[in-house]
Amino acid sequence: MKKLLKLMGLTVFLLLSLSTSVMAKNEIKIDIANGALVWAETCMRCHNLRKPEDLNKRAWKYSMNHMRVRAGLTGQETRDVLAFILSAKTAEDEK
Amino acid sequence: MKSTMLKLLLSVVLLTALEANQKETMDIQQLQKELYELKKNINQIQSELEGNAKSGFQLAGYAAFDWADIQKDDNEFSGAKFAPIFHAQYGKLFQFEGELEFTTKSDGETNTELEYAAGTLFINDYMGLQIGKFMSPVGQFVQNLHPSWINKLPTTPVGFGHDGAAPTSNVGMSLRGGLPKVKGIRSNYATFISNAATFGTAADGDVVIDASGKTSSGNISKTWGGRLAVNPTGGMEVGFSSALGKVSETLTATTNVGATVGDTVARDYEVIGADFMFNINSLDLKAEFIQQTIGESQFSTLEGGIWKAWYAQMSYQLFSSNFEPVLRYSDYHNPEAKRNQWAVGLNYLFSNNLMAKIAYEYNSDEDKDAINSSINDNRVLAQLAFGF
Repeated sequence: MKKLLKLMGLTVFLLLSLSTSVMAKNEIKIDIANGALVWAETCMRCHNLRKPEDLNKRAWKYSMNHMRVRAGLTGQETRDVLAFILSAKTAEDEK
Repeated sequence: MKSTMLKLLLSVVLLTALEANQKETMDIQQLQKELYELKKNINQIQSELEGNAKSGFQLAGYAAFDWADIQKDDNEFSGAKFAPIFHAQYGKLFQFEGELEFTTKSDGETNTELEYAAGTLFINDYMGLQIGKFMSPVGQFVQNLHPSWINKLPTTPVGFGHDGAAPTSNVGMSLRGGLPKVKGIRSNYATFISNAATFGTAADGDVVIDASGKTSSGNISKTWGGRLAVNPTGGMEVGFSSALGKVSETLTATTNVGATVGDTVARDYEVIGADFMFNINSLDLKAEFIQQTIGESQFSTLEGGIWKAWYAQMSYQLFSSNFEPVLRYSDYHNPEAKRNQWAVGLNYLFSNNLMAKIAYEYNSDEDKDAINSSINDNRVLAQLAFGF
């Protein structure tokens, strides 16, 4: 078990070392079309679709981070889905 | 005459070319304008994604209210549940999520459980390090489908509740996230290491594996495992899970070979699971198999064995209406019992997160102690569920 822990620790350390460049690379782009696709395909697998107007913008930000963990989304997919939802909100419910 | 005709023709050609040129210029201007608007929108969304505040929180959750008419028993309002979920985050780096579950017991007391409380450090786009108490990453129903507004029926499949065949939660740490696409196929993973589950006799006399998260492992080695899932098509997910380790058992009786009552002993523990989800148009299919195996111990009078359960479920939203029929079969075997259940239900969706459910459950249990107990009774169930 100690060996396993050491291995996990080493893996985390290596990935942490690599993470900065990966994050910098991925934060630049937003793909709304990909967001729409991931939203339609992924959310429906577990539960009924929550429409953009169901939550306000602030709530969507927290919910999407929660879903990133629950649904196993990548950071980029999470940002794309959030961008799609925010872009799909109508003027009436933009809060 | 020829000269006039030629001039006229030339004028027409020139005018047409001029008009075409003007139209092209207008089209380009229109496209430039649209491009400008699009860029403006993306910048606005980008700034909204960045957000102003580093820290913040949100309250979400779900609630459910139940009614049951059990064979050989009276009908009753059988449940009220309130499960608030708290989400807090620090920028893009860290998220905390916690869920409490309040339920009213039959004697009127309130039962409170901490379903999960875990912080996730987002290491990069493909990895989050989660620490605390989290829903078991093994399988799919327990971690993602149990909330009342998500579960298509008022009850859980047999074997997928507490003390069943499926582990419920862990205290430890987990590394999880989505993976980069490979040939257009998405996938995700979760690995974990946690305190050991316990094994023993419950208050009702049943021998159970208590695979809910605990803050003590009883000096038993940790449990480690994980789940890998792939999405062969967008609406489909196939997952495989496994966990290995030991369970701790506090002896209530011994075989008199070197251990005394009250001693804690370790027994081998192994979990395997597979799950499937497919959603296309209004058709939703789900299935899962899970199995926990406990090894034998020379010190204990309790025999080891296999606790396994599976279910398959189909639901369909009728002709894009608000009605959704559901059919589910579930089966649970452990060394003491063989139980299965057919459940058929009809849901009415007031909205995607507010629904009324009515269902009929046909229960069958071959356990000799359960044959005449309420576990074996068929029942009509109704539930109003709301996710917020």
